[in-house]
Amino acid sequence: MVKFMGLETENKEIENNLREIARELLKEKKVDVIIGYKKGTLPLLSQPIIIDSEEDIDKLIWNNLCYVNLAKYLVPRVPRFVDPEKGNLTVGVVSKGCVGRALIHLASENKINLDEIKIIGIPCNGVVNRQRIEMEIGEKEILEVSVLGNNIIVKGKNFEKEFPFDEYMNDLCKVCKIRKPPLVSKVPDLCVGECEEYSNIVDEFTDIEEFDSKTPKEKWQHISEALSVCTRCYACREACPMCYCNLCFVDQNKPVWFGKTTDLPDIIVYHLIRAMHMAGRCVACGACSLVCPMGIDLNIINRKLEKIVKERFDFTSGLDPDALPPMVNFKMEDAQEFMLEED
Amino acid sequence: MAEKILKKDDIGRLYSELEKEYKFYAPTKVKGNIAFKKISNAEEIELEYLNSKVPPKDVLFPQKETIFEYRYEGKDVIIEERKDLEDKLLIFGVRLCDAYSFKLLEDFFASGDFQDDIFLKKRENATIIGIGCNSPRQSCFCTSVGGHPFQKESTDVFLSDLGDTYLVEAISEKGESLLKKLSWLTDAKKADLTKSKELAKQAEEALTTKFDFDLVTKVLDENFEHPVWQEISESCIGCSSCTFLCPTCTCFDVIDENDEYNNRGRRIRIWDTCQSCLYTLETSGHNPRPAKIQRCRNRIMHKFSYYPSNYDCLGCVGCGRCITACPVNNELRLIIDKILEIEEKSGEKVSA
Repeated sequence: MVKFMGLETENKEIENNLREIARELLKEKKVDVIIGYKKGTLPLLSQPIIIDSEEDIDKLIWNNLCYVNLAKYLVPRVPRFVDPEKGNLTVGVVSKGCVGRALIHLASENKINLDEIKIIGIPCNGVVNRQRIEMEIGEKEILEVSVLGNNIIVKGKNFEKEFPFDEYMNDLCKVCKIRKPPLVSKVPDLCVGECEEYSNIVDEFTDIEEFDSKTPKEKWQHISEALSVCTRCYACREACPMCYCNLCFVDQNKPVWFGKTTDLPDIIVYHLIRAMHMAGRCVACGACSLVCPMGIDLNIINRKLEKIVKERFDFTSGLDPDALPPMVNFKMEDAQEFMLEED
Repeated sequence: MAEKILKKDDIGRLYSELEKEYKFYAPTKVKGNIAFKKISNAEEIELEYLNSKVPPKDVLFPQKETIFEYRYEGKDVIIEERKDLEDKLLIFGVRLCDAYSFKLLEDFFASGDFQDDIFLKKRENATIIGIGCNSPRQSCFCTSVGGHPFQKESTDVFLSDLGDTYLVEAISEKGESLLKKLSWLTDAKKADLTKSKELAKQAEEALTTKFDFDLVTKVLDENFEHPVWQEISESCIGCSSCTFLCPTCTCFDVIDENDEYNNRGRRIRIWDTCQSCLYTLETSGHNPRPAKIQRCRNRIMHKFSYYPSNYDCLGCVGCGRCITACPVNNELRLIIDKILEIEEKSGEKVSA
């Protein structure tokens, strides 16, 4: 696909299309409610919004600030997705590729019934790495964010700065191979809007070559340093569509398995054990990093996991609701050599 | 004592003279965010900042704090109390909203039958040097909670940034005795005072976010079961960014960590948060706040209803951290709007 359009035109087109689809879905009563994104009250944020009437359609937006993975609101369902009499409502979910993947993967774990949702597929063009922009602006207040050509324009009192979108896109979006939600052949009318059939995903993982070339000691150093400012608010966990446990391992207190402090060893144990639970399940939406109040970048860990799962099990999460994730599925021929390796 | 002038170039001198006597905490950049840390070099001080990510509350009430340590000697248990509570602390360059939060924290830790000796001792030994806020953010609303970008009362020494210099005022006795140690400070001129007043006025005018909290408290008290709470909590993902970055949140959890192989252990406290599923979980398994709706409501009720009835003031200093921190943009301004809408609607009904 050759892109001639500027980012703004592209966003407008995605937005118009998604509104049109949403309008039709509500009109024809193919869904009861729709969850999507709405303009935020702060320049670098958007808001999740739930609508059930055609009047509100124009509140739905697409820009490059739609970070949150909306699949989060389906597991468990927020109260408005359940009717006291009718039971589970049919929910239209405005879905970039990773939201679609999350929904399909959650179906493979029997957490979502795909008959009760509609994926409103959009051809995602990436989200902004807001923490990187915030940190580069530093101690100045950002008052306005707009798009011009392929640049993000950030304005405040007495300053204006341009950030080329291609560079300031979230790192995971830069290497994303699944920008539109995947088509599911078993449920042909699951996806409305732009979806795509994916067969074999080829990923060179060039983005983590540098990390991979480090020695185990250097890797440990890198991860320790990145995590050292963690306050353990668990925003990463709460924003993750795959973190749906009723009681997280780190919250279990009969007995207490893990230290609860912000001492570095306790922080690392939390993040690495959470990472283990993400192997073959992470859909690379990057929500965990984008919601972190301290701006910690967890993408390296996520990508490393993705790479291991791809290499050892040739598995990509969120493409097929019938494919069991490798950590759920035992096979005699599974590669096991990693147990003996140092990285 | 008359007002003094501190040249910006002389911050290093101030630091080197005071760091011998005090543990010197100041705003400094840590991984791209401003944080209050004990510094070891005046170069680390970053006074040109909006506000710190984590409030300076954590100097006196850190996220993890040892209450005491213990060790076994034969059959005896030896308790080792904290020895560092007598240290003199200096918290330098605090914004006024955060300086005011120390008063609220003190109210909480000193209230009732149980005095929190650890906090109160540290508070007593802490001297606070506040700094006027020349450019409040869009998310700031200190004037709505009884504060002001230049509110000096909660500080010991007050600085206002005049460009190349700071105007220095001693506010409390502690502040006066501190300034006596800095005899080299020059006297301020009348023009400096005028300029500081002018800056204060400009800062006040720059504040755009304003709330009528008397009305908010009234509406909250009458609408505990209102369906609006469902609406407010709907998009909340239950992360604790708002509470962990709040300068007035005081909840903590006490944990014993036993190191049985080394015959020792410690009792610690760590920040807790009303957004956590464990927060009010009872031993029986019952939780009076089982879902997001009760947890979201608790945070708002605590700040704007329980605080006024328990301490006769709002439990909020208007720093706006929860507004900017919320990753789903379910921010306080929108929440307050929704709460006030209840009143507007009921008013409409009456007049109709």
